[in-house]
Amino acid sequence: MRRKLPAALLLALLAPSASPAAAGTAVPVEEDYVLHCSACHGLDGAGTPGVTPSLVGVGALLQAPGGRAYLGRVPGVAQAPLSDARLARLLNWVLARYSGTLPVPAYSAAEIGALRSHPLRDTRSARAALAAPGDADESREDASR
Amino acid sequence: MSARRSRLDRWVERGARGLARQMGRRSFLARVGRVLVGTAGAAALPLLPVARVRAASPADGEGPLHDPQRCEYWRHCAIDGFACACCGGSASACPPGTEMSPVTWVGTCRNPADGKHYLISYNDCCGKGFCGRCECNRNEGERPDYHWVRANDINWCAGAHVQSYHCSVAIVLGEATEPQPER
Repeated sequence: MRRKLPAALLLALLAPSASPAAAGTAVPVEEDYVLHCSACHGLDGAGTPGVTPSLVGVGALLQAPGGRAYLGRVPGVAQAPLSDARLARLLNWVLARYSGTLPVPAYSAAEIGALRSHPLRDTRSARAALAAPGDADESREDASR
Repeated sequence: MSARRSRLDRWVERGARGLARQMGRRSFLARVGRVLVGTAGAAALPLLPVARVRAASPADGEGPLHDPQRCEYWRHCAIDGFACACCGGSASACPPGTEMSPVTWVGTCRNPADGKHYLISYNDCCGKGFCGRCECNRNEGERPDYHWVRANDINWCAGAHVQSYHCSVAIVLGEATEPQPER
């Protein structure tokens, strides 16, 4: 069950697993976001309408069947030049920060490793097939691109 | 009624009154604000998306490595285009009459003046034809197009209102803990 909680609380809960040491690196997770995500999605995660998708509310996909796997296989995630542990940390942080959503359980390095080894080839179709509640507008926007 | 208050009520009331005597509401709110978003509390409650990316004030130096109108300029380590400082803009501002692309390419460069790595955003400036001056094609850390996640042979003006490319800026976003990965 997805829970909606304040982002600050979620990030505090995530703190132990989001720490640099937990991912085997000295790099803060925010730095990974800036280097690997912000160029397209923006420093505020809002994306650019009609060009790059927003990350705000993307956690709704966790409620859709197949949504959890989709988030680990979408090319921008799967092909990020990061270790499995750092990528899992980053994806968990993005969901908490921009959706107020904690994936249950949190993505692990092993899960991300398995998902990213099968990156999506047709992202648009896979995205359209997910019928996340309250997400119909975004699906239409994606399909129109 | 007051006689029936619990010990906890009395303790909280005493604390609240003491706090109110010692500081005004504004200073209290200011302190709470600092804890939530300021430097002291940012590590515990990182509310802002890049709150823990260290603020950057790169050291200045002299010579071509510190001249924004040269390709050798340290911030240009991954640039692929015309340097905006030669086109009526600066290393971080688009020339008048152009629009900065919201979609960009982010990499890291090492500042020789302080030996630190910095996160650099190469936003394109759009809305005019090619600038044609200071063409730089250094591309450090860039990858071929088939590795699209780290490729930069893309017209980022696709995200702007007018897609014609004019030049590129090199904005410092923060200090980087490590150089960009080479994987």
